[in-house]
Amino acid sequence: MRILGIDLGSREVKVVLMEDEKIIKMFKVSTMSFYRDYCNFDGKIVVDLQKLNIKNIDIAISTGYGRNNTDLRRFEPINEIKAHVYGAIYQSGLKDFILLDVGGQDVKIVKVEKGIISDLELNDKCAASCGRYLENMANILEVSLDELFKYYKDPVELNSTCAVFSESELIGKIAEGVNLESLCSSVNFSLYRRLKPLLTRFKGRKLVLSGGVARNNALIKYLSADYDEVISLNYPQFNGAIGCCYYGRIRSNKK
Amino acid sequence: MKTIGITTTVPIEVLLAAGYRVIDLNNLFITSEEYGKYIEIAEKDGFPKSSCAWIKGIYGAVLENEITEVIGVIEGDCSNTKALIEVLRQNGIKVYPFSYPHSHNLRDVKKAIKDFMSLFGVYETQVELIRKRLNKIRKIAKRIDELTYMEGKVNGFENHLYQVSLSDFNGNIDEFEEMLLKKLHEIEKRSPVMRKIRLGYIGVPPMTGNLYEFVEKFDSHIIYNEVQREFAFPRAENAKDIYEQYYDYTYPYDIGFRLEKIKEEIKKRKIDGIIHYTQAFCYRAIEDIIIKKELDVPVLNIEGDKLNQLDARTKFRIEAFLDMLSDLKGC
Ligand code: SF4
Repeated sequence: MRILGIDLGSREVKVVLMEDEKIIKMFKVSTMSFYRDYCNFDGKIVVDLQKLNIKNIDIAISTGYGRNNTDLRRFEPINEIKAHVYGAIYQSGLKDFILLDVGGQDVKIVKVEKGIISDLELNDKCAASCGRYLENMANILEVSLDELFKYYKDPVELNSTCAVFSESELIGKIAEGVNLESLCSSVNFSLYRRLKPLLTRFKGRKLVLSGGVARNNALIKYLSADYDEVISLNYPQFNGAIGCCYYGRIRSNKK
Repeated sequence: MKTIGITTTVPIEVLLAAGYRVIDLNNLFITSEEYGKYIEIAEKDGFPKSSCAWIKGIYGAVLENEITEVIGVIEGDCSNTKALIEVLRQNGIKVYPFSYPHSHNLRDVKKAIKDFMSLFGVYETQVELIRKRLNKIRKIAKRIDELTYMEGKVNGFENHLYQVSLSDFNGNIDEFEEMLLKKLHEIEKRSPVMRKIRLGYIGVPPMTGNLYEFVEKFDSHIIYNEVQREFAFPRAENAKDIYEQYYDYTYPYDIGFRLEKIKEEIKKRKIDGIIHYTQAFCYRAIEDIIIKKELDVPVLNIEGDKLNQLDARTKFRIEAFLDMLSDLKGC
């Protein structure tokens, strides 16, 4: 049984191929190139699997954020939250956990009990607590994201609750001569502070991280104080696509 | 005929034997178009924001409908009721106590009911006569319940309604029986509607009645209404007397006994998932911890407050829950 999962992100499209419950292939292409180089349009979007170098598919499932969840021919589209939950179940082996997914443009928090969603919160209206914010801040500081994610000590207060205002606040701190490590910590801490109220409803023992935050060591440090265990998924960026495959497997098992 | 209000199901046989017309104040409150006003009356009179809407609604309903006598359940129901009846008493309403002993042994239940009977000056034989009469009606309600989960001829809301109504038989047993029988005949002629997901509803009856209709949008069907069904005493026939009947009632005693019955029904009715409703500010929300641990089907806890409709967030949660339950069940 070969299952193809595709997660149509706003900047990248993630592709995962699973065979007999194992991931055998995993790659991304830019969203632009995905539609331009690997798809045709014939009333509906048709993915050119040959060009993607994928053969013999039994089931194909797609997911994507909001409007990006375009209808692909021969793909069954599933809701993005569900895809992420399935991805997290597959990757962590857990059935009871809280999933925090900080994507480029949105934040999702989901409570999973007995393998089923029991509560969820989405924030897709404000950029201040998602990946894009960190990218902008890293740009200002002229460091890479990986560099930014290392620092958690001695944050100074960045009070602004808005992503745009935070930028000028950060520049102010640079001008005051705050050192780079501290500035990085401050950015990470400000993200944590904004996530915290969203997380209050989601107290629990295990927190699973997916999306860009899973790589953010500073954030993991801060969150560790609130949960017994903070688990980063191995393939956080591919979680949605992996979830599609896992979903496909459940479906086929039940048929 | 004198009217008496009840705050929860009590041995109604005793009250009927004493010649009362019995009104379940919960039903009076929630079926009123003025339900919001009832809550407000209570808040104006000083009931705190942080007390549950049922308590406030009952209070408002008593005052607005000029109910002058009320049974207050002082053991086996929540402690809010205790305070409620004290306030009612201060308002000049005559309140009578009733207890479901926490010990949950037959001897204590017997004593409580005997005390209740002597409070109203009625004898066991009178009570038993009424009980037999009511058991005939209970049987019809039970049949409606069966038609829900066995044949898919009754929808979740109707099932909820006809079970919950047995707490007071809508204030008139003859009329109620007639109505129920008519309904039963109509139902039996229906063609069955089977939906994919079989849900159980547990917890106090919901403030939000549209829950039933809402889940049906997702090919789900509530085929078990736990507490409502208990209100209708589905096992009354097996009880040899009134004492046994109220001893075999799950709602007011410890959660262990309740869970035993819930588990039986989950198995019997092949339930895929449970919606556990709790009321904001109610101690029963804490019991969710035990319920989730004890039941091996997925449980979704939803909470109602003052609104008689599901809020957007709760709808969203129910939808996600049902969506995944549906995946688990396959196509
Ligand atoms: S819902 Fe809870 S708090 Fe309110 S009256 Fe019922 S048992 Fe008491």
